[in-house]
Amino acid sequence: MKKQTFRKIEPYIWIAPSVILMAIFILTPIVFVFRMAMSDVSKAGMIKGFNGIANFTKVLKSSSFGLVLQNTLVWTVAVVVLSTVLGFILALLLNNQFRGRKIARAIVVFPWATTLVIQASAWNFIINTDYGTLNTLLLRLGIIKEAVNWTPTPELYFMWEIACGIFVTIPFVSFCVLSGLQSIDTSYYEAATVDGANYWQKLFKITLPLVKSSLTVSTVLNIIYVFNSFPIIWTMTKGDPANHTDTLVTYLYKLAFYNGRQGEAAAVSVIGFMILLVCASVYMVYTLRKGDD
Amino acid sequence: MNEQTIKKPVSVKKVILRVLLYFVILDVCVITLYPYFAMLCTALKSRAEIFAVDGTILPVTALWSNFIDIWSRAPMARYFLNSVLIAGGSTLIAMLCGIPAAYALARMKFKGQTAFLGFVIVSQMFAPVVLLIGIYKVMMTLGLTDSILGLVFINAAFNQAFTIWLLRGTFMGISAEMEQAATIDGCNRIQAMLKVLLPVAAPGIVTTLIFIFINAWNEYTVALCLISTNEYKPLTVGINIFNGYNMIEWQYLFAASIFAIIPVVILFMLIEKNLVSGLASGGVKG
Repeated sequence: MKKQTFRKIEPYIWIAPSVILMAIFILTPIVFVFRMAMSDVSKAGMIKGFNGIANFTKVLKSSSFGLVLQNTLVWTVAVVVLSTVLGFILALLLNNQFRGRKIARAIVVFPWATTLVIQASAWNFIINTDYGTLNTLLLRLGIIKEAVNWTPTPELYFMWEIACGIFVTIPFVSFCVLSGLQSIDTSYYEAATVDGANYWQKLFKITLPLVKSSLTVSTVLNIIYVFNSFPIIWTMTKGDPANHTDTLVTYLYKLAFYNGRQGEAAAVSVIGFMILLVCASVYMVYTLRKGDD
Repeated sequence: MNEQTIKKPVSVKKVILRVLLYFVILDVCVITLYPYFAMLCTALKSRAEIFAVDGTILPVTALWSNFIDIWSRAPMARYFLNSVLIAGGSTLIAMLCGIPAAYALARMKFKGQTAFLGFVIVSQMFAPVVLLIGIYKVMMTLGLTDSILGLVFINAAFNQAFTIWLLRGTFMGISAEMEQAATIDGCNRIQAMLKVLLPVAAPGIVTTLIFIFINAWNEYTVALCLISTNEYKPLTVGINIFNGYNMIEWQYLFAASIFAIIPVVILFMLIEKNLVSGLASGGVKG
């Protein structure tokens, strides 16, 4: 009898440490953020009382928020879509048998392993107008005659940030796809070849459907990571000038820790959640449905 | 495949495709390595050479002393130690909490299992940066702002999802029969896990371990926000001491960066293969 009750509660003892850890350091912050989003918060972060949707209206009414939201969408869509396409192509290339394949794989993994803040500093240095190595290189090679200003407008600077984001995201996509590619049985291709299928037919009829799940995982995770990515933009432009390169996360960081408007910052967080929630629920439905099979 | 190549002479089209493949792969490698090459060259230059009007690609004379100077110009040794402590500590805690949870998810059936797994997956969505205000408040309550211990807990918590995810996949890939046999021989569950399952799961565990270590080592945002005392900063935040508002010491910044990158790149190469298959199987298979 006693043993049976133990059997019942045993799994909960096993998961308890993990649950406690996440409850304190993830769940509680979530609760705090939601509470602050709906409260009047002092500069020092003291919650002074419930104020409904006042923070949200303040955020939505502010002149810069539209621009920030637009930047966030451009940033997320551009980085995720382009790195997925390029990463997929790279995976197809790396899946071929060729000499030096191991070395190539090791090199491609570099940007994934390097911390974003260092990557961003490196690119910021490379594209500098006055002493950047890109200008030096192109001048020495005789491709350009005088130093080019690579970042004349905030929009172009933002494009470079996107390029940097793509650069660091490609390896993750490639390796996810590669793991999918390597699990495909080669007999499918042999059979298709016998049937006279060409390269593109094999790509779209065999490869793509079979790596779809790897691609879904990497895409959904990337949407979340890229949407929340802070270090690249923070290191390169800090969102300046005048919010022109801000995304939601850099915007809320400045609101909270530079301007002391924590209530509004919390509201921006909540808005961010709402956007990601859509993505996460799609993902959860997908993953858990697979789990029931 | 071999038979085909013997029967048919190699076609021109195939040769062109091969050359093209090598060309593209080579390009990708060059572009990928370019920032590292630029960092290394810059780290070996003098300040004057970096800012010279007539820029150079390779340093005129390699100033290896830059790599030594950084240790006296900034508390680099301290930053390094902090990064080791943060990454090591969070890996330890994440594993201590994650292994039993993954074990329960892989081997037991209980009410709320799906809900727990659901929360684990959803927690991925809450990147620390979005929760920074909340995290800051929790840390204030616990008196853990501006402390290494605080970063250890945060990193451990935000890596739980990956830990559980990867380990659950690993454990589920291992048959439970051996553990059951051990239980019949008189082992209890904990003994069976420690003595039978964990040794078999070692490759998966090592992969997970290194991955969390790298994640925590590379973490920047939370450390930037929580740590104000210079002596408690990890490398990712600390090296920005060379990136001042009015003067950037690029040579030192990149010399320090290279020290921060090397351990991680080596670790990453060790696990790269296992990690990807682990991510795919743990995430997609139920």
